[in-house]
This record gives sequence, C-alpha cells and structure tokens, in this order.
Amino acid sequence: MPRYQATLLIELKDGILDPQGRAVEGVLRDLGQEVESVRVGKVLEVVFPAEDLQRAEEKAQAIGRLLANPVMEVYTLEALREL
Amino acid sequence: MRWAIVRFPGSNCDEDARFALEKVGIRAEYVWHTERDLKGFDGVFLPGGFSYGDYLRAGALAAKSPVMEAVRRFAEEGRYVVGVCNGFQILTEAGLLPGALLANLNLHFTCKEVGVQVERNDLPFTRLYPRGKVLRLPIAHAEGRYYADPETLARLEGEGLVVFRYAPLKDEADYNPNGSLHDIAGIVNEGGNVLGLMPHPERAVDEVLGNADGLPFFLGLVKEVVR
Repeated sequence: MPRYQATLLIELKDGILDPQGRAVEGVLRDLGQEVESVRVGKVLEVVFPAEDLQRAEEKAQAIGRLLANPVMEVYTLEALREL
Repeated sequence: MRWAIVRFPGSNCDEDARFALEKVGIRAEYVWHTERDLKGFDGVFLPGGFSYGDYLRAGALAAKSPVMEAVRRFAEEGRYVVGVCNGFQILTEAGLLPGALLANLNLHFTCKEVGVQVERNDLPFTRLYPRGKVLRLPIAHAEGRYYADPETLARLEGEGLVVFRYAPLKDEADYNPNGSLHDIAGIVNEGGNVLGLMPHPERAVDEVLGNADGLPFFLGLVKEVVR
C-alpha cells in the first residue's frame, strides 16, 4: 500500500490569548526586530499507509480531528504527499 | 465505600489522593489507565500529575486512554467523578466538562496556596463548607487558565455550575493565579456528579501538614453515602 506524509498545523483560535506567542514577540522586539505579533502553534508530521490520495486526505483529516481540541484550537492540513 | 484512583503514566498525586480518601474511611484502589471496567466502585478520582509528560496538551493523551471510556459510562450513570489539576485537564479534554485549561498567563508553573471560594454547597464535595467560605488550598500547575467561549461561560454562570472561584485570602488584588476567566477554579457538570478543579484539596487534609481546609471535601463524600 502507498505511504503518505501529512503535515498538520494546530494553532490556537483567533482571539485566544497566546502568552507563549507574546513572550516570543517581546524577545524579538528586544532583539531589534519589528514585529506585529507572534502566535505559537504545533506542526505534526504523520506518516501512514493509504490506498490512494483521496483516502489519505480523509485519514489525515480524521487524525487532525482526533488531535486538535476544538474548544481552543483549529487544525489545518498544510501538506500531503506520497512517499 | 470504594473509590478508584486512576493512574496514568505520569500521574503523581495518586498517593495523596489515596491518603485523603482513606483518611475519611473510603477504600481507595489504584486502577491502571488501560482498564476498561469500573464496576463495583462508588466514585472515580482522576489525580494530578503530568500524564504523558503533558505532551500535545496537558491531559490530551490521557483523555484518549481506554479507561476514559469507562469513566464516561460511569459518569453517565450518575456516579461521582472528581478530577483534580491534571485530572481536571483530562476531564475537559475528554469532553466530560466544558471549556479548556490553557497556559497560565504569566507562563510560570505556579506552586503556592491560594484563596478558593465555595460557590455552592449543595454538592457532596462541598456540603460541609458554608457557602461563600474562602478556603486556603494549594495549587501546582502551569496550565490552569480556565477558558470557555462566551456562550459556555454564560451557561456555566446561569446554571450555577461554577463550584470554586479564586478569591482573595486577605485583600490581595492579584488573587487569580493563572488568568482564569471569571476566576474559575472548579466546575461541575449539569448532573452535579462530575467535578473538576485545579486546586488540590487532597494535599490539605491534615493539620500536622499545615492545612486541613481540604478535609471537609472528602468527608462530604462519605456523608453522601451514609445519607
């Protein structure tokens, strides 16, 4: 069966205060960088078998739903490629 | 009376929970997170700690453990489930309680005693406290900032589901240790049988150890069954 690699991005929803992002933002400013804002998220690279690309995308979306907490997070399937 | 204390990889308040439950005469037994059956127990205690090293999100991976399906059925039967600290995080991640616990606003792991006001005392956990009493309870967490969307918050307040709220011990202005919305420290479900709270009553059950404000919490559980 073909193998696929999905790149999932999990971020805090807009409007939810991200103190980690704020801290990074402050340090970047201290280092002289002109930044408007920083948000910190997570990237997951998941490798799994699937019959075809369509099935792989369904699996990747299902994994995103399992791993993101919809109370405060959103996930995006950033990339999906056959290995 | 028999309570289960669920142990996840990384739980570390399991012994404290057992000490507190046994102190009031409850038989406490450890249950590994791979168990699928909670028959014969009168209550389930999800202790604090750092299940799965807080990887992904605090409580996120433990919430997917086999035992949590059993806890869900147990809760649906109206039996008592208490989650303290990481246990509260697990309950929200599992969807047994609404909202989420986010990183403390100051990004610090905060370990200290705080003021915690009892908002309602018609629950077994709080029946032995006067309503409005401010307890002194320890907290020890990095992700305790209670968050829920405005509709959920309105529902929690409207239905009186906030059980514990951070409050000043004296007159300090910075009494909210983590930035929780509405100063929320603990909530209960609509059925009144699933409770989650960030402060640790099980670490405050003996005057010899400097604080017994948490003892009535456990005595209330016993009184419930006798009643």
